[in-house]
Amino acid sequence: MNAPSQPCHCHPWSAWVLDHLQLGLLVLDAHDTIVFANHWLLTHANLTSDAVLGKPLLEVFPQIQDSAFERALALTVASGYPSLLSQTLHPAPLPIFLPTSQRGNDKLLRQSIRIIPASRQDSALMQQSYTLIQINDVTQPFMRERLLKAQAGRLKGLAEVDVLTELGNRRRLDEVLPQAMRSARKAAQPLSLVMFDVDYFKQFNDSYGHLAGDDCLRQVAQRLREVFRRPQDVVARYGGEEMVAVLPETHGQAARKLTQQVLHKVYALGIPHRGSAVADRVTVSAGVAVYEPGTELSPEDLLKAADQALYQAKSGGRNQVCGPM
Amino acid sequence: MNLSPLELETLAEVFNVGVGQAARALSQLAGTTVQLNVPRIDVVSKLNVSTELINQGADRVCAVRQLFSGVLSTEAVLMFPVQQSLQLVQMMVGDDVPLEQLGEMEQEALAEIGNILLNAVVSGVADVFKLQFEGSLPYVELGPVKDVLCAQGELTDPVLSLQIDFAIDSLQIHGFLVFLLDLESVESLRTTVQHFLGVLA
Repeated sequence: MNAPSQPCHCHPWSAWVLDHLQLGLLVLDAHDTIVFANHWLLTHANLTSDAVLGKPLLEVFPQIQDSAFERALALTVASGYPSLLSQTLHPAPLPIFLPTSQRGNDKLLRQSIRIIPASRQDSALMQQSYTLIQINDVTQPFMRERLLKAQAGRLKGLAEVDVLTELGNRRRLDEVLPQAMRSARKAAQPLSLVMFDVDYFKQFNDSYGHLAGDDCLRQVAQRLREVFRRPQDVVARYGGEEMVAVLPETHGQAARKLTQQVLHKVYALGIPHRGSAVADRVTVSAGVAVYEPGTELSPEDLLKAADQALYQAKSGGRNQVCGPM
Repeated sequence: MNLSPLELETLAEVFNVGVGQAARALSQLAGTTVQLNVPRIDVVSKLNVSTELINQGADRVCAVRQLFSGVLSTEAVLMFPVQQSLQLVQMMVGDDVPLEQLGEMEQEALAEIGNILLNAVVSGVADVFKLQFEGSLPYVELGPVKDVLCAQGELTDPVLSLQIDFAIDSLQIHGFLVFLLDLESVESLRTTVQHFLGVLA
């Protein structure tokens, strides 16, 4: 390496410090030629200093040609303002690896890069416009955040499950419905919402006890899952014995057909119900409401409409589907 | 204290040069068109800025700060309501998963986005006015808008304030870019603009 020709005020320990820093350092001259690379960088790039010093940056690292890194470097040199390349937007701009003993099993390091041009004053002092490139290995924080996010995702999923039926709970519905309506608006597709209620459920509990009631809800929930099984369908327990299905890209007519299937399946379960005034077994009533994109309807409005249709089904004799109105 | 309408109008045009460059750089980064628009520029007090942000329901902001020093020295602070900063990062990353919080990695991404914008804007201004600045690396800060603005100085201090509107696909984000100035720097800004207008005339 050619030392700059001005008098050197280097402390005897500067070189030692640079070579023991746990981050990568590269210094370029005004022509993008590498004039310095520290030990960390050479080790992690698996290069010798002979292969690096005095060579153009692009010759040593051809993969950065036309990359965001090259553009940022050019902008930094032109403007004289330092810049930053984040791991999130550019995971690994430089071919820098975790040194491992296993060949061919090298892991690219996640990098956070800072490009720092020398100030005009410093450049005048050094009689050359140098640029410092600092590379931090952020693989560990990246992995840690990914793990935390995955855990948060799992916990969030658990917090949105109804323990009894294993359907979504009210919280899940409150989150999913507005999102689904936004997507429907964007995609100009209808969205159907079906509200279910087990007929004479209070009487069922009174006759057979709460454990039987729980089991009845589980079985009804299972029939809903069987019918509404597309990945985009969401079924949630809305209240005590009320359940709701959110059906994206579904017209009212299709929703009614599917709902009718649920009613048949529940009827076919043949769970005896002596407290029911409409059948000798457990039945359900359902109300369907549809959101047509282009109409002004809030999630609450849609739930209310389904609830009204459900009320109609109940006052019309139960074990039936009503709506869309 | 205030700049004249002509001086402000001139500043707005000069800033638009840099904002245009920033939009190009951010579009390249996002892989989709990012449009930037500066509907407003004014010299106001920090209190004005914080009141406006709080009135928009953004009492907590995410800020990217950078120092620029030269003939006039200023700290540039680019602020977004926290929720919008999350959306901005999400758009730039091209991720479908909504972010709940600004983690370490997202903050760094925001630092990069802010760095691109601030460098381009200040470069544009420096080129047109033929000024020289030294810049610092970006620094991200989260907190109540008053704390962010008053890390140093008083709420009555003047700032050059620009509203910057981002449009990325269907997403609209309102950012605030303020340059913290001391009285001396306001004077020197005025002199610079007047000199520039004189050269033009």
